[in-house]
Amino acid sequence: MDFTLSNEQRAWQMTARKFAEEEIRPISLARDAIADARETFDWDIIKKGSKLGLRTLAVPKQWGGHGTDFVTQALVMSELARADSAISKTFSQCWKWSHLIAATCTDEQKRRFLTPFLEDDTFLLGKGITEPGAGSDNRLPPDDPKAGLKLRAQRNGDEWILNGEKCFIANGSVGKLFFIDARTDPHVPLRQGTTMFLVPRDTPGFRIGKVFNKSGWRFYQNAEMIFENARVPHANVVGPVNGSDPKTAQAGDRTGGDLFGDLELAANALGVCDDACGMSITLARTQQQGERLLFDQQLVQLKLNRMYCLTEALRSYVMRIAWEHDHKVSSANAGLCMNFSTDVIQEVTEINLELHAGAGVPDARADKLVRDAMIWSHLAGDTVQRMKPTRRLAREMP
Amino acid sequence: MYNLRLTPEQLEIRDTVREFVARKIKPAALRPERLEAAEQPLLVDVLDEASQLGLRALALSEVAGGAGADSLTSCIVSEELAAGDPAIAAVLGETWTLAHILFDRLMTPGQRERLLPPFLADERCHIALARAEPGRDGSLGIHYHQPGQNDPAFTTMAIRAGEGWIINGLKHEVVNASFAQFFVVAAATAAGGTSAMLVPRDTPGLTVNESGPATRRRHGACGQIIFKDCHVPAENLLEPEGQSKLGREIARQIPQQLAIQLGIGRAAYEAALDYAQMRVQGGRPIIEHQAIGAKLADVATRLATARSIIWQAAWASDHPEAFADRSLPDLPLASIAKVFASEAIYHATKDAAECFGAMGVMRDMPLAKYVHDALICLHSGEANTDTRLRIAEAIAGHRRADACAVLAAE
Repeated sequence: MDFTLSNEQRAWQMTARKFAEEEIRPISLARDAIADARETFDWDIIKKGSKLGLRTLAVPKQWGGHGTDFVTQALVMSELARADSAISKTFSQCWKWSHLIAATCTDEQKRRFLTPFLEDDTFLLGKGITEPGAGSDNRLPPDDPKAGLKLRAQRNGDEWILNGEKCFIANGSVGKLFFIDARTDPHVPLRQGTTMFLVPRDTPGFRIGKVFNKSGWRFYQNAEMIFENARVPHANVVGPVNGSDPKTAQAGDRTGGDLFGDLELAANALGVCDDACGMSITLARTQQQGERLLFDQQLVQLKLNRMYCLTEALRSYVMRIAWEHDHKVSSANAGLCMNFSTDVIQEVTEINLELHAGAGVPDARADKLVRDAMIWSHLAGDTVQRMKPTRRLAREMP
Repeated sequence: MYNLRLTPEQLEIRDTVREFVARKIKPAALRPERLEAAEQPLLVDVLDEASQLGLRALALSEVAGGAGADSLTSCIVSEELAAGDPAIAAVLGETWTLAHILFDRLMTPGQRERLLPPFLADERCHIALARAEPGRDGSLGIHYHQPGQNDPAFTTMAIRAGEGWIINGLKHEVVNASFAQFFVVAAATAAGGTSAMLVPRDTPGLTVNESGPATRRRHGACGQIIFKDCHVPAENLLEPEGQSKLGREIARQIPQQLAIQLGIGRAAYEAALDYAQMRVQGGRPIIEHQAIGAKLADVATRLATARSIIWQAAWASDHPEAFADRSLPDLPLASIAKVFASEAIYHATKDAAECFGAMGVMRDMPLAKYVHDALICLHSGEANTDTRLRIAEAIAGHRRADACAVLAAE
């Protein structure tokens, strides 16, 4: 077993750390405090990060990207998340869908979409799955054709006409290109009747509705998408029609699922935990209570112990998943790691807040980390997200 | 006689307040545009209506013009109010508790004669307790279990000046700071011990700071109070100098403050239960899935056990004789209730929010507010780390000379 990083991995880590500390951290709290959910975004930080390669680092080298491995991606995500979880996620959201493009798009599609993506520092990607009536039903679809997403796509010559809506879509209000899952056959179960489309932001009949006002991850833009006779060329169909089933052999990793998405949330959580640990131990070693340092108290040491135990266990798990991905070892572990990261990020940020509040040092950042960590409940740690890897585990047993 | 039956009066007041909350408070407190706003100013109209129902003087004795509610009844009412809006519950609870402590227990007849009539006459007269101090809070850990240890003295000082006093210092986490007409201030004097004084809001040298994150540490128009050469006349000293029992008296507030958090948790639970019966995923209402059913069962379990220990602590403070006759265990029940209930209710609220999926973290939905409100409760007042240490001292038989009477048994 060798945990040594290569020079290239180390270099990316240092680039991310420097950018996070010098550029992201200084704006993190101010962005979080902006009351209007539409105004929290900052294009400057995206452009600066993009120039360092942080937007495009997952695009394969043969397509002009940096072609970094999963270990590098995990390292960079946690470094960025240490300064701001939501800003890190905005960058890595682009990696998630660059993986998808690389895995599923035709060369013609890659040329058409990866080229502008690589050239434009403000080109962000997203994917629309969730709808008001369909969340868990997209993750663990029942056989009933009525269950799951309803956004309808109907063929009309060389075009598809899309009608319906999506909600909570990440990078929705700032993205330039989206993967949209739509029902092309409403009479069969979700996975047999869904097709994926590439939908540019300026598609006629497609518009963005409200931006959701979340309590955490304020920077991250989750928006409503409205399709009213939106016209998408047939050339933008990704993979086969009615073939959006991520489990079909040709589909590759089309959900951004365990190959990247699960690792992404776990690696991001790790960065937040590093930040919380750093805040807490600094507080304990500098804050006086009475005539003694906070650190001198047994209960404070025990709390720090718990924070570090959980964080370091998560680090080991995250790096193992990243390594396994690089070695094409795909298993339920990525999902389990994502689930575990929910428990870890919430407990660690809650202890951090407790230490600050208990010491009478109200801290806006400690509060922010707890709010950011709440996001993991529904993304990474709800009961459906926990049953998914368990079922896979059982399925893959000999 | 072991008896969990509420009296007809308790049931009646609970139903009255519950109906008032459903009709007046909830619709106003949970308007989406209000939830979405960064600041949620106090619902003054609703507060006035609640005062007109007599809630401002709930715990004040009937003889003095109040409703004479005991601690358990106060908990019942606080829970109901907080299920609608914890700020309203905190404001009224602070005023009714302090009215009882001041007018029924601590004031001299002369003080009562001077101050009770204006309090009763003005529906908008609220009272605030200026006790907590940034440096003093949370220092219990370093004095844990040391012989003869007292709680540290207040840094807010009152110095004799002629017939009166001059106060200097800073108080924080003051509920009702924004609009209380007078403050009960705990201060140290040259004589040692703690002295309590009444300071009207318009006294020169008293400044209220109601902005910044430090002021949002508690529910109920919370703020900091700064005293700078604030002159207080001699007749405003409560009890003899250095012998204030205020710390013990306000122990009565602990179960009631927990009841506020319980109300928040219950509101979250009721919302989640409704939603889980209505929301269909996986072909059936989500409550029919084991995963969500068991989660809601845990929420209900945590809230029910929290209510039991809160009510027991409240009942114990209403019936101190029950310790003497060995009906109650010789345990610091209020502290035990605080540690258990505040953590259990926070978890219950978080679990309830999780049933809503992504909608559980949206600001325009009540669930994110419930979680945030429960978190404020979890971290206001004494930290649970310190409360645990108080329990540890108590069960080891270690007594603090001036313990702020978290011990129901005392």
